[in-house]
Amino acid sequence: MTRAALAAALLLVLIASVLSGAAVAAKPGGTLRMVFVADPPTLDPAHATDLTSSAVIRQVFDALLELDQKLVPAPALAERWTVSADHRAYTFHLRRGAKFHNGREVRAADVKYSFERAARGKRPWVFEKLVGAREFIKGSATDIGGVRVVDDATVELRLERPFAPFLHLVAYDAASIVPREEADKRGAGFASHPVGTGAFRFVSWRRDDQVVLERFPEHFRSPAHVERVVFRIIPAEATRFNEYVAGQLDVTDIPTGRCRALQSDARLKGDVAIWPTLGTSALRFNVERAPFTDARVRRAIAHAIDPSIIVDRLLEGCVTSAQGIVPPVLAGWTATAKRLPLDRERARTLLAQAGFPGGRGLGPIAYHFNTNDANQRIAEALQAQLKEIGVMLELRRLDWAAHIKLVDDGSAGFFRQGWIADYPDPENFLTVLFHSRNLGAPGNTSRYRNPAVDRLLDEADTLAPGAARVKRYQEAEQIILDDAAWVSLYHYASRALIKPHVKGLERSPQSTAPEFLAPLRKVWLER
Amino acid sequence: MGLLRPVFARFVALVPVVIGVTILVFALNAVALGDPARVAMGQRADPEALARLRREYALDRPLPVQYMAWLGRLARGDLGESFREQRPVGEVIVERLPATARLALAATLISIVLGVGMGGLAAVRAGSALDHLLMGVAVLGISTPVFWLGMMLALVFAVTLGWLPVSGYGDGALRHLILPAFTLGALHTGTVARMTRSSLLEVVRQDFMATARAKGLPEWAVLGKHALRNALVPVVTVIGIGLADLLVGAPLTETVFAWPGVGRLLVAAVGQRDLPVVMGAVLVFALVYVLGNLLVDLAYLVVDPRMRDAIRA
Repeated sequence: MTRAALAAALLLVLIASVLSGAAVAAKPGGTLRMVFVADPPTLDPAHATDLTSSAVIRQVFDALLELDQKLVPAPALAERWTVSADHRAYTFHLRRGAKFHNGREVRAADVKYSFERAARGKRPWVFEKLVGAREFIKGSATDIGGVRVVDDATVELRLERPFAPFLHLVAYDAASIVPREEADKRGAGFASHPVGTGAFRFVSWRRDDQVVLERFPEHFRSPAHVERVVFRIIPAEATRFNEYVAGQLDVTDIPTGRCRALQSDARLKGDVAIWPTLGTSALRFNVERAPFTDARVRRAIAHAIDPSIIVDRLLEGCVTSAQGIVPPVLAGWTATAKRLPLDRERARTLLAQAGFPGGRGLGPIAYHFNTNDANQRIAEALQAQLKEIGVMLELRRLDWAAHIKLVDDGSAGFFRQGWIADYPDPENFLTVLFHSRNLGAPGNTSRYRNPAVDRLLDEADTLAPGAARVKRYQEAEQIILDDAAWVSLYHYASRALIKPHVKGLERSPQSTAPEFLAPLRKVWLER
Repeated sequence: MGLLRPVFARFVALVPVVIGVTILVFALNAVALGDPARVAMGQRADPEALARLRREYALDRPLPVQYMAWLGRLARGDLGESFREQRPVGEVIVERLPATARLALAATLISIVLGVGMGGLAAVRAGSALDHLLMGVAVLGISTPVFWLGMMLALVFAVTLGWLPVSGYGDGALRHLILPAFTLGALHTGTVARMTRSSLLEVVRQDFMATARAKGLPEWAVLGKHALRNALVPVVTVIGIGLADLLVGAPLTETVFAWPGVGRLLVAAVGQRDLPVVMGAVLVFALVYVLGNLLVDLAYLVVDPRMRDAIRA
């Protein structure tokens, strides 16, 4: 045996021992103490629209598929699946022996029931690609024809047309499988007493106080490591931090303005975890509202904004500056887009060309944003930056309900609006936010209409994942940025404090602190 | 029977006050921007689902019709259904009411015991360093923001010393109640202390106090039995008015200490434009306030025999 071969063998032994050690070290038991900012409105997958609800739903329920740490669809209740040659039919083979928390085995009929129930819930767009779903959602059909029960263990889903991210939708928590008998028996009460197949089953929920889950011993994957999960509900950021410091929480978010300080705090720096997530914060224009109907005015504003000040000074460098709309952390995505660069001379020229030399005649421009400390500081920075080219901003700060109302109905001309991916695919950013069929509340609040962009997006949405698809999205993204319908500021990052004894907590780009959409069945406590 | 009639009359007079409050809140909500159905849909709203939800919430009906429907249901004891939680509002509020009641009662008790104690001591030692110290503390209590005080108390007694929990309702144990109750009670303690002191100082100058002393009563009996009882009439008024402080302070205290009460529910409901919950919670607060003041009026009869005699006469 050569020296190199010996070294390789030793390395293999070492890796094997580390891996086996890790497996042994995953001690069962204990209570994982998580935290939410607000009470979940519901624990029913058909009615949830917020991260807090989803964070619980993902532990209590399973879908046919789930996303792994790299956000690739992986088997869950379906152990395997096949896709037809025309990419329109997906056949899922259910795992034998998977049980609901009430002891009954999951059948293909549960899939049909769950999809149809959720299609008439608050996220119908998850199911609208299925044949007959639109009619069913409108109430003109009695079932979704595109969901066919082949036998007890097989279900076929048929799409109107190919849709590349469809498997992501199947893995989405709105598509969780629920037992008909429980949902029917409890009616609206199912939202407070959920019954699923998940690694944890529901124990109790004291509103505005805590949600308690316990390990489901018969979970099809083998029981979770931790015995219980307690989600405390603590609205005040400072209180969450105090609870963490006092040792009453295992995980929390980093308070606003403390990101840099905590990274150099002797006691807590080891607990700090920051990772990029699938979201982008941006400024948007309603392109149907003067003066933003003129692309030169929009471009002038885009050229005058320096996001580096916002990223480095206001947000302490704990987020990443954005060039494009789609976050570079998205798997399979190559970021090529370039935002309009900071060039205030060019901005002044464009303003003059649009008939507003030095901003004269433009009047004060209302900038709408939703209440929060960071948004207020960003608004003030924008106000100062735009003043440099003679554009005066009038800050309009409203709570979320009022802000979204003005944005949706087109009353706001210039506004802040971020986007957090529902599922990890460029379609969820570009088509949802800029296709002309999604004007207003469905996502395109810029009211941007560009046939060339629509065509590129339509083509890309139906293409199979790969370079050709990505190229079309990249082209569309650059056109949108050049048209300045959207000015990217930064990509979101999740900022958390995690106790060293918490092991196995996934930090995927879709896992945001403090909710953590990660599967908690993988977590174990080393103490 | 002589006392029942005026009490009943006061009770009836509360009805238009409460209805007036509900009209005001409904009108304010109508003026405020925001659509509860849109808020419930999250970041991405399907137009058809949105329209369906608006129909379900009866938001497509004219405002006066919506209000009358609410009032009609209220007459049957039904507060409607929460948009956000999709459960009866009565159930949503009743779940949180015990926590708020516990907190408010404890805070009131603290403000009475501490306030009357501090005020009494300051009056007895009027002009002394102790008087200045106690009144200084009282002013501090009145002027310290609830949010800041709560944070500081939690930092000292929970995080640093570890004597008490930082937040939460826990298993309902008393230790969870101490910090929130002191925080909420602090504001009112100062007011009660100041009123007790000034009222006592006024009473001790009156002739009947000289008579009591001339009879040879010990000083504690003179102050405790004769002076304090007479001085309590304005203090009781302040305690009644202080209910408003408690109601204003409850949402903040509940937020700082993650206390699962009606105050926090109300704040969240306003943000979500969950009108049935807002109306229900405001109704509860209005009822607590007006009934609290009614109780204060009744307390006068207990504290001051002259009022009983006046009503009987």
